Amino acid sequence: MDDGRWTRDDRRWTRDEMEIKYTTQCYLIYITMGAYLLAFITTLLHRKKIGHILYLLGFAIAVFAFGYRWYDVRHVPLQNLFEVFLCLGMIYPVSLFCRRVLGVGGYSADMLIGFIVLFPAGFVRRFSAEPQQLMPALQSWLFTPHVAVYVLSYIFMAKAAFQAVCHLAGKTPNPNENLPSPEQATYRMICAGFPLLTLGLILGSWWGKLAWGDYWGWDPKELWSLASWLVYVGYFHFRYMFGKKHARINSLWAIAGLVVIVITLLWANLSGLFAGLHSYAT
Amino acid sequence: MNKFKRTVMWIVLVLLILSIFLSIFGAFVGAEREREFFNSLPLAVYWLAFILLLIVGLTLFRRLVGVPGLLLIHTGCIAVLAGSMWGSEAGHKLQKELFRIDKIRKGQMVIPEGGRENRVLLENNKQIKELPFSVELKDFRIEYYKPQYLQIRTRQGKSWRIPVEIGTEFPLGADFGTVKILRAFENFKVNIEGGKNVPFDDPQPGFNPALEVQIESAEGQVVTKYVFERFGGHVQPADRLLLSYHRNISDYISELQIIENNKVVAEKNIEVNHPLKFGGYNFYQHSYDDQAGQYTVLLVVSDTGLTVVYAGYLMLCIGVCWHLWLRHLLARGR
Repeated sequence: MDDGRWTRDDRRWTRDEMEIKYTTQCYLIYITMGAYLLAFITTLLHRKKIGHILYLLGFAIAVFAFGYRWYDVRHVPLQNLFEVFLCLGMIYPVSLFCRRVLGVGGYSADMLIGFIVLFPAGFVRRFSAEPQQLMPALQSWLFTPHVAVYVLSYIFMAKAAFQAVCHLAGKTPNPNENLPSPEQATYRMICAGFPLLTLGLILGSWWGKLAWGDYWGWDPKELWSLASWLVYVGYFHFRYMFGKKHARINSLWAIAGLVVIVITLLWANLSGLFAGLHSYAT
Repeated sequence: MNKFKRTVMWIVLVLLILSIFLSIFGAFVGAEREREFFNSLPLAVYWLAFILLLIVGLTLFRRLVGVPGLLLIHTGCIAVLAGSMWGSEAGHKLQKELFRIDKIRKGQMVIPEGGRENRVLLENNKQIKELPFSVELKDFRIEYYKPQYLQIRTRQGKSWRIPVEIGTEFPLGADFGTVKILRAFENFKVNIEGGKNVPFDDPQPGFNPALEVQIESAEGQVVTKYVFERFGGHVQPADRLLLSYHRNISDYISELQIIENNKVVAEKNIEVNHPLKFGGYNFYQHSYDDQAGQYTVLLVVSDTGLTVVYAGYLMLCIGVCWHLWLRHLLARGR
């Protein structure tokens, strides 16, 4: 029961890592996931108009869920992994941008990406939805832009990795759709996401200096973030040198970048191996 | 591309891959060992090699100089590396030897409330050095989020989170009765009056936050319990409810003044994310007396090299945004 003043929680304590979360917040997530999955399936079945409507509906509910969370916690909801993955679920604007501005495909894959990123928020126990107040270190104007640009960059890099997989699998776009090759699409999306990744790294460094006195504290999360940035730097340099001759290796760089991002986002926070200043993100 | 240029590009790729693996390796060994490793002499040579390679690249590849975005990106990287090397421990030692600038790189100051201090315990924990001015702590305080909460749990796993509202009764259901918070203490102490223990809130310095809680069971039995924030988890076998009290800290504030030649030359209320800058140093809220709140611990950090690092960040940001975004948007617009 939640009357806004005090709460009663009947959750059973089990050792399982997964659970169904019976809260309004998570019901919204489940509906969004359902809409995204249905959108993906109907698009695959060539019912593109219905798929598009379902995708838009899913996005609208995702935005409502994010706004609901914002109202519930009284600050921008980007503090922990639950909130970050909730934000990642609002993928539609990036989808639209990639289609209209960058001119790349993968529209239906975005629906699946939206479903996948919401899954941990909806079902994984360690992604706690318990509202938390901001600790003093997080009370900075840099908190929102630092996390937000990283979230946005991760979506671009995930889409780039998807196109890289298509390239390695030998898929080519439909000639009628006038889309670039998957390798070119990968490049365009990394070009879109890399400035955001750079900005995220620099904003984090600046914030670290203001909060803890060090613009580089050698924290595991910082090192994994640097590693992910360096992978894309390597991608650009390799593509400049050998890109035409070894196009498949370009794609491997892009996939490696996403692997390091996933480790940065998940393993660095959730694993006991990497205790550091960013452990409050769990 | 001629052979020499190709060799330089290969070295760049190798160094980038090496940097990726060193970063990953560092994430496994931990911050302290990684800091020592990357500030060691072999890695200083590595950083210098990186800077040299960037300079060689700018010289060899005309495109890096001719294309504004690429020029900004690469010179930005040089600035970041050079600034951070100049601001490192080795950089400070070099400044002392070459220019006789003996600046404290990093250390901690413990200042009692109402007290004044100019001594800094260096980060090696062995030396104490003095600043050319003093820092006075007028007041230190901790602020907490409101409302605070009392957590109640049963052995069967049911739980409630009740806001601390003095005098308000909260029902826990037919099986468990009701709970009422009677008093909140900042510094709980006990006096013995007439052979009885009488709790009171001690105005003297100290931290012992507590709540006086009245529990009325479903059968009408009334019990008074005391719940301590700092000493939780005390349960009797007959207890059906487990109580815990925790306040969430919203801020730590140190009211500081800088005293030079017996005059106040600067003052600021510092908090986390809001340091005081003076005399080539930054003063950060680092820690405090968690027993009685009677002193603050400041982190003192030299700002040597910081301007160059920030300039490098700015160049890198502008360069990346220009080269990958803006020039394409402008070309589209035309």
